[in-house]
Amino acid sequence: MFKRILIANRGEIALRVIRACRELGIESVAVHSLADSNALHVKFADETVCIGPAPAPLSYLNIPAIISAAEVTGAEAIHPGYGFLSENAEFAEMTVRCGLKFIGPPPAIMRLMGGKISARKAMVEAGVPILPGTGLLETDDQALTAVEDIGFPIIIKASAGGGGRGMKIVKSRDTVLGQLEMARSEALAGFGSSDVYLERYVEAPRHIEVQVVADGQGGVAILGERECSIQRRHQKLVEEAPSIALTDAEREKLLAICEKAMRSINYSNVGTMEFLYEGGNFYFMEMNTRIQVEHTVTEMVTGLDLVREQIKLAWGERLSPTFTGRFKPRGHAIECRINAEDPVKFTPSPGRITALNLPGGFGVRVDTHIYEGYVVPPNYDSLLAKLIVHAEDREAAIRRLRRALDEFVVEGIQTNLAFHRRLIDHPDFVQGRLDTHFLERFSTENTPAVA
Amino acid sequence: MRAKGKKPAPSTTRAAGSSSITERVDALAEVLRRHELNEIEVEEGGVRIYVRKGGGGELFHAAPMAAHAPAPMAVPVHAPAAPASGPSAPPAKSTDTSDGNVAYVTSPFVGTFYRSPSPDMSPFVDVGTRIKKGHVLCIVEAMKLMNEIESEIEGSIVQILVENGQAVEYGEPLFKIKVG
Repeated sequence: MFKRILIANRGEIALRVIRACRELGIESVAVHSLADSNALHVKFADETVCIGPAPAPLSYLNIPAIISAAEVTGAEAIHPGYGFLSENAEFAEMTVRCGLKFIGPPPAIMRLMGGKISARKAMVEAGVPILPGTGLLETDDQALTAVEDIGFPIIIKASAGGGGRGMKIVKSRDTVLGQLEMARSEALAGFGSSDVYLERYVEAPRHIEVQVVADGQGGVAILGERECSIQRRHQKLVEEAPSIALTDAEREKLLAICEKAMRSINYSNVGTMEFLYEGGNFYFMEMNTRIQVEHTVTEMVTGLDLVREQIKLAWGERLSPTFTGRFKPRGHAIECRINAEDPVKFTPSPGRITALNLPGGFGVRVDTHIYEGYVVPPNYDSLLAKLIVHAEDREAAIRRLRRALDEFVVEGIQTNLAFHRRLIDHPDFVQGRLDTHFLERFSTENTPAVA
Repeated sequence: MRAKGKKPAPSTTRAAGSSSITERVDALAEVLRRHELNEIEVEEGGVRIYVRKGGGGELFHAAPMAAHAPAPMAVPVHAPAAPASGPSAPPAKSTDTSDGNVAYVTSPFVGTFYRSPSPDMSPFVDVGTRIKKGHVLCIVEAMKLMNEIESEIEGSIVQILVENGQAVEYGEPLFKIKVG
């Protein structure tokens, strides 16, 4: 097994990887920016390297600095976490060229599944259903012909886009070309490539994703689905496993599709296939070739440590035969993302945490990097903590979540804790009537009166 | 290297002690020859004299010292982290401290520190070396690239804070330099 791993990330996920390393007897190297010198991942790692100033492009996205840090500390592998460089195939390639292991899929698979157009093509070949749509739109005529076949509404997406950016919804023929032009220039500005495609737009879908683990040598495990329909501007806020929307037959079908697809591209390491679900049908959206924020809910219902699996797979271990196949969830798990943000305007709220009480007790897990006296820097994302509860069924999980949210106290900065407390009391949430627009309706109903 | 803050206020009134500067430089040059040194620097009575072997003869450089207590200076003190709520300090290759005219040259990136161009060559600088802007101080190797680190300040090396071949991180102090 590896002796030493460098973690090219910060915050709770860096800690999450350090914990997995500890349990495997692997030394961890934390890298950090000047803004994170007092961060918990720096305090808990076996070795630390300051790699640059606060702005992420100069530190956590600074490939030469991170590779140098691995070299000078004698790390054998790099874990990229999520965000930052985690889906950057060039970084993975450079890591490999420098004689280090990249803890993730091979760069070629990252590239194949990272581009939305190439991923769609590969998934169609593997028999995965996708929304009717086009490949790369090279001409305006292609777009106009396609909308005749598909009908309205349609959505134009950037091939290199992600996180909901670079999308245009078009509802009528006369606005197609104008929106296409805008999507192209936004894609070029935002992602460095003007490649766009279009597909049918689903009005009220659920976001359902499937966690996969594969060893690239024939071993594939499908760990079940997560429901992540509660999103604000395509940023997930609440995730759960399993989804109450799926019948057993639908679940069986979905997991079988994913297993076949992962064998077809010979995937390795952990990953997530994201789908839109509407009226009993699944449509593949994209694949994330990395660990995800919400991997925790799958861990709770399967009992598997996904980060440990990532490390073992990168070392070259195969999945054990008892591990492979499709998993049935045990109980129900829900995660709330606790962010440092203004509860009304959703603007980030950095600053010093003056008082903190983390919830605990049976069935409660908190993955966080915050502590009393910690200063949330303004330079990075606003995620403070992931509160995860596990119980025998969804109803019990919601009760446990409500209890845990009430125990959760953060003072000194603003958080969305109160928002979560209101959200999980909403009848639509309690009854599981969810789609990706739930939060827009909820926010309109629940805008607190501003003094 | 960028030096933040002001240079010491020059003393304008003081005479250079009882003996003339020329006499003292001559004496120092003799010390240099006798001990086979390349350079020497002394401070006395508010005057600093620096003598270095070079070219055909000895060069000398004398600078007035700040008289006793340094003049009050508005020198920003950079903590390595920024625990306050604001964003952290901007990157600086060298950082003044409250220690008056002393500056630290810090590593501009992560890498391995080397004092000489190759193992069998003499170091770029030693304690006592006079440096000018553009003077190469060391190499920081990052990703197999040898990056020469040049000084952005003028002064003399007081202390070398890192061992040859040691790993250095971003912002790590490498040299303590007396500015001026």
